[in-house]
Amino acid sequence: MINYLIVLFAITLIYFASAERLSTYVRLVALQGLLLCGIAVFELKEVNLGNLLFIVAETLLFKTLVLPYLLSRIIRRSGVTKVHRQAVPGFYLLLFSIAGLLISVILAMILVNPVINTIYLAIAMFTLFTGLLLIVTHKLIISHLIGFLVVENAVFLFSLAVGNEMPMLINIGILLDLFVGVLILGFFGLRLKPHTNELTMLKD
Amino acid sequence: MILLLFFILSVVLSAVTLVSRNKAFTRVMVLLFAAVLIAITVHAWLSRGRTELEYFTYDSTAVLLLSVLALLTLPTVYHGFIYTRDDTVKRHNIYHSGLIALMAFMAGAYLANTMTVLWIFVEATTLAVAVLIYHDRTEMALEATWKYVFICSTGIALAYLGILFLGFIYGRGDAPNLSFSSFGAVISSANPLYLKIAFIFVLVGFSTKMGLFPMHTVTIDAHSVAPPPVSALISTTLMNVGFLAIYRVYTLFSGTPVLSFMNHVLILAGVLSLLVAAGYMLKAKHLKRMLAYSSLENMGLVALALGAGSYGYYAALLLIVLHSLAKSSLFYQMGQLSRILHTFRLDDSGRYMKLYPAGAMVLMTGMICILAIPPSGMFISELMIFRAMVANSQWFILATAVILLSFIIYAMSVRVMHVSFSTPRNEGEFKLPGPVNPVETVSQFILLAIVIMICFWQPPFLTDLISNSIASLPGLK
Repeated sequence: MINYLIVLFAITLIYFASAERLSTYVRLVALQGLLLCGIAVFELKEVNLGNLLFIVAETLLFKTLVLPYLLSRIIRRSGVTKVHRQAVPGFYLLLFSIAGLLISVILAMILVNPVINTIYLAIAMFTLFTGLLLIVTHKLIISHLIGFLVVENAVFLFSLAVGNEMPMLINIGILLDLFVGVLILGFFGLRLKPHTNELTMLKD
Repeated sequence: MILLLFFILSVVLSAVTLVSRNKAFTRVMVLLFAAVLIAITVHAWLSRGRTELEYFTYDSTAVLLLSVLALLTLPTVYHGFIYTRDDTVKRHNIYHSGLIALMAFMAGAYLANTMTVLWIFVEATTLAVAVLIYHDRTEMALEATWKYVFICSTGIALAYLGILFLGFIYGRGDAPNLSFSSFGAVISSANPLYLKIAFIFVLVGFSTKMGLFPMHTVTIDAHSVAPPPVSALISTTLMNVGFLAIYRVYTLFSGTPVLSFMNHVLILAGVLSLLVAAGYMLKAKHLKRMLAYSSLENMGLVALALGAGSYGYYAALLLIVLHSLAKSSLFYQMGQLSRILHTFRLDDSGRYMKLYPAGAMVLMTGMICILAIPPSGMFISELMIFRAMVANSQWFILATAVILLSFIIYAMSVRVMHVSFSTPRNEGEFKLPGPVNPVETVSQFILLAIVIMICFWQPPFLTDLISNSIASLPGLK
């Protein structure tokens, strides 16, 4: 079951590269939150019930509901619906994304480790790659935000891999979620130049 | 227990400052915090080597950097009082509450003996700095704060991936707290590839705090709008936090086969930092941004020093200390310069020596110190870096560094001389210089005097502390 969820998660990442509507991005972020919740439930069999409930609540409430809600508000406020300002055309992004998946699989096979599942490692690295790709290749602030949330999901996946041994690492990862969710999305996302979504004032 | 008391007092003082309705009361609270911070530093000196609250250790490197923070506390608070004196009570209090929080978080980061605790404190500093950068509430301040928080958060996430990779080297049931001492026991049997990946993530991630290439942009923009006393902290003690995180991991891995890999990566990051700093300083048109690029240059030199090894280790720590003193005094001076000239833009600046001789003297002495021109103590540290490179026969890197430093010396001295002696290029409407008391420069002259003194005499307690900090590193002669 867990492998199916991880593969589904990987498919959402490829979809990120081909999607053009910001609302699709938001739905994908919410779906990723739901998938991470499922992965956490099936993977973390050795942590105590209280900790597991905390992690499930965080993924369900925060990653699946609150963050997508805040993103939707920012999109509505900015009036921008499509990712029409990419530094790289969508087709090449898809190619990059697939190349990233291949590289991640090869790296995961090189990094075989008794502590971590290879599929986990591959998809976590691919998630990180996709998040960074979104930040680097997109021009809109909202796309950067979504890229960052994907990077956060990569961190969460990595932390789940060692979650049974070190549950504290997952909790600290959640701290990052809360920090970013509240501060970046809640405060700055709603205040920064909503009409243009560009930053231009600070230059050399 | 004393450390717990320090953290509790910090939280209480920060909260009381935030809700206070009286500026004078707030100032008393901030001064009280400064006294508490100095007291914990004295306690750290007296308790060297001891661990408190399980997650904090007073080791030599921590004590060294904590002492630098303690030394800068009073001048930062003093210049902060001047900067915020015309603010509304609310804004004044938010500033000082953020300042207390930032200093307490930095102290926690220095003393942390566990990677995760260090990471949490680094993350917390981002929050406090964001409040301080946004102090002026302008659109520019919002943009700078946004960039700072976003890039720092990305960096922190990457650094956390590095920590997770460190976690992967443990087997089931092994030391789960990720403390530096427990790492020491398992690190020699770890897969070198994992160590390399962890180091890259940690280096790139914490570069956001250290201000090193490739994540240097985060601090440059922050300096454009941050209040000068805050810039002084971002450019010195906060960069030291980033340095410490990277240095801890470097020290941890230095006994493994990945040492040469780490050295190569650090040298690459160092040279690229120098290159970017030289390029942007040659075209800098904003004084605070120029100083920010100068910080990038110095952090590049620190990376080169670590990468060069042997004498370089000592030089790196000495440079970190001296850069903190010299750069903070220059940033404090920026506060007075903006009140005299009403701008940080080079084209609109000039005649500073005539308008405010004491300030111009700080500017020029600070320039000599920061550019490592004798009698600056930083000259000694740069000489040691070059000596380490010569010992390693790293001639090409040495030549590249010297050429880039020459460009930096040229760029900075031309600009400082222009501000001090030339007439402004854009002679607009003449604005009367604001009220500035030459007494304000006293703390800056004291800090610069310490930097100059180090050129001739290094106090034994300083050399002991640095020597103890680098004692576990390999290849020391």
